[in-house]
Amino acid sequence: MGKRTMSGQKGNPGKGILGGVDRRQVIKGAGAAGVTAAALPGLLGTRGAFAADYDPMKYAGTEINILMTGDENDHRALDDLLPEMKAETGIDLVVSAPALGPLIEKTLQNLKAEQSSFELIEYLGFLTTQQVGGGYFMQLNEFIDDPAETPPDWDFDDFIPAAMKNVGYYDMATGTVGKGTDVYGVPGLHSGSVIYFYRKDLFEEAGLQPASTWDEFMAAAQALHSDDVAGCSFIGANDFSLATVDWYTRFITTGGSLMSGDPNEKNFMPQINSPEGINALQMLIDYLPYAPKNVTQYGFAENVDGFSTGRIAQMIFWSTIAGPVLNEENSLVADVTGTAPVPAGPGHMPSAIQGGWGVGIPANIDPAKRGAAWRALTWVTNKRINRYSIEAYNIDANRTSAFKDPELLETFPYLEHALSAIENAVTIPTSRIPEFFQMNAMMNVEFNAALIGAQDAKTACDNVQAQWEDVLRKAGHLA
Amino acid sequence: MTPASRERLGTKLGKLDRPGTVVWLLLAPTLLYLAAFAIFPLFYSLRLSFTDLTAAAGTGDWVGLRNYGDLLRDPHFWNATKNSAVMVSASLAIQVVLGVALAMFFNLQLRGAWLVRGILVLPMLITPIVVGVMWRALLNPDWGLVNWCIEAVGLEPPNWFGSIEMAMPTLILVESWQWTPFVFIIVYARLQALPQEVFEAAIVDGAKPLATFRFVTLPLLMPAIVFAAVFRAVDSFRSFDLIFGLSYGGPARSTTTLSFFSFQNGFQWQNYGYAAAASYMMLLILAVGTIVLLRFVQIRPGYAK
Repeated sequence: MGKRTMSGQKGNPGKGILGGVDRRQVIKGAGAAGVTAAALPGLLGTRGAFAADYDPMKYAGTEINILMTGDENDHRALDDLLPEMKAETGIDLVVSAPALGPLIEKTLQNLKAEQSSFELIEYLGFLTTQQVGGGYFMQLNEFIDDPAETPPDWDFDDFIPAAMKNVGYYDMATGTVGKGTDVYGVPGLHSGSVIYFYRKDLFEEAGLQPASTWDEFMAAAQALHSDDVAGCSFIGANDFSLATVDWYTRFITTGGSLMSGDPNEKNFMPQINSPEGINALQMLIDYLPYAPKNVTQYGFAENVDGFSTGRIAQMIFWSTIAGPVLNEENSLVADVTGTAPVPAGPGHMPSAIQGGWGVGIPANIDPAKRGAAWRALTWVTNKRINRYSIEAYNIDANRTSAFKDPELLETFPYLEHALSAIENAVTIPTSRIPEFFQMNAMMNVEFNAALIGAQDAKTACDNVQAQWEDVLRKAGHLA
Repeated sequence: MTPASRERLGTKLGKLDRPGTVVWLLLAPTLLYLAAFAIFPLFYSLRLSFTDLTAAAGTGDWVGLRNYGDLLRDPHFWNATKNSAVMVSASLAIQVVLGVALAMFFNLQLRGAWLVRGILVLPMLITPIVVGVMWRALLNPDWGLVNWCIEAVGLEPPNWFGSIEMAMPTLILVESWQWTPFVFIIVYARLQALPQEVFEAAIVDGAKPLATFRFVTLPLLMPAIVFAAVFRAVDSFRSFDLIFGLSYGGPARSTTTLSFFSFQNGFQWQNYGYAAAASYMMLLILAVGTIVLLRFVQIRPGYAK
């Protein structure tokens, strides 16, 4: 079977990143044309001077193992391009891609072992503090600055700064993610945040503009709701995204601030039952008459399915679903779907949670493999994979160049909003502590209980507040 | 071989011939297996339950009974205990009653019963996680087959997993669907092996069918029913994968049982010490429950005679 290329065609897999021209061909052609080595980086859009001593095959024959998520399509994109990696670097990359739960467990086992079996490990942005902050990953600055070790076209500055802050920079002295210049991981294999999806045809028919405020969102939901199409939808099930996408977006765009204080100073206090917190949950409860009948059981798949089959007029969602929703093969509303930044309250900027992954090198790997691990890391996070991930699997990239690629933008106009969403996204403060998932789960249970009518918004927020405080006290983040 | 060396070899083989040596040699692989995969994990997790080990923050320091104390103060633990008790007792009652009824029915030896019997036991051959996912799809409120059928006859389908009131009954229903055949098989096998003389004597004495069942069949079946009930109670109490696939403990923790509670604490939130303590509380409850169940049966020895 032939290999899929950057443009999705069968043929030479190496073409495409430079508009169908292989990087090596450019270098070879430039040499023939008398272009100097110093001019090449500019031609290739690279960061530093072209390294004459950079040997792409330096680590040929080394086996590198990567542990990464199997829940998303990242590993499929990587699998597709592995033969190219082998051809270009000589490195054998072995991919292990379990689901999130086993991934976290396996990651922690390896990070705490005497020697990690995986030279590269992908970690969720929400776990940067737990895993990078635990001192388990190597600092990468020396590699990044070494032209003999880093491919000249890798282009570190191309990573979206917000994604770097989410998973890359970590200040060990203060235990703060996103601070300082010490790099412990690289965004990979994808990033992402939340954008607004709406049905252009329905909005035009009703003479409405896409909602830019939550009041407009509610008004549109009321106006567009019918027996066939729900006026809006959201994650109503006991699901990770109920709290992190639907509640948190409304919360922070109406002036809410999730936490005050600092876990290191033992005054990390939640603000769940603040007026903004209760109001954000009340908004979701108020949407119920205009949402799908069973929205309290709607998770990720149900919403994507509902929107793609034309049964939902508008919703905010992870931008990563834009690909499937806008793909005519999967979606009945591909040509009538619009995207925009998430709505916000008066006087507030559109913003949502920062998602995405980072990839790093565990500090406890075989020291002899460190160079090869870095080489493999630069390969799996290169521009080519980023572009291919969008094109073949609609995965949200983490490089600015991929989002601004004119060819991709023409095919996937949502990329413009997806990029601005990532740039304006915020790292959820609770990801600073290892109890993030536990606390998030508590929130989802209580909010879901409010949505099914078992309690009101204030009770739900009070319950979460009490449970969070209990967890924070036990963990020593709150005195 | 010299006579002396032959004698030495004979002595060594003679030692092997001792019954005790051979027994221990034959038992050794099993004992090693049990030690490595049953006894060691049991003691390791017991030790774990007295530590504060978590994935990232915990150090695994000895904290004594703190985890157990925290558990007893944790309302979610008690909620999970209550849910486990409800699930076990309700599903057990359904499974025993239905299983015995089915066994009695199939004991009539109707034509074609072998085929229905074969089909009937199929659910218990399916992995519980698959049963969970399958029933979640069947009960899907938007496109599930069950709701479609109910709507087709003009009725309003229940909100299976969308309400706290319905979630546990639905879980019990699915659990019973899968495991009633187990009780049926055990009881049916016993039924087939019952001595016919007592039934003939009952007929001669003029006993009516209901009286025969009440005073002859049921007492004779009791050992099999007790065996099936204890086995199912223990299994149902530990049930995790069905819940994972079907309801994920929700909504609002209404189907979170003790095993799911332990899973969440241990494998989702990496609170290993706390989860181990919860598991040992489960073990304690299970042991007490089983003893009580067996004692309950033992106080009626006439049943088994």
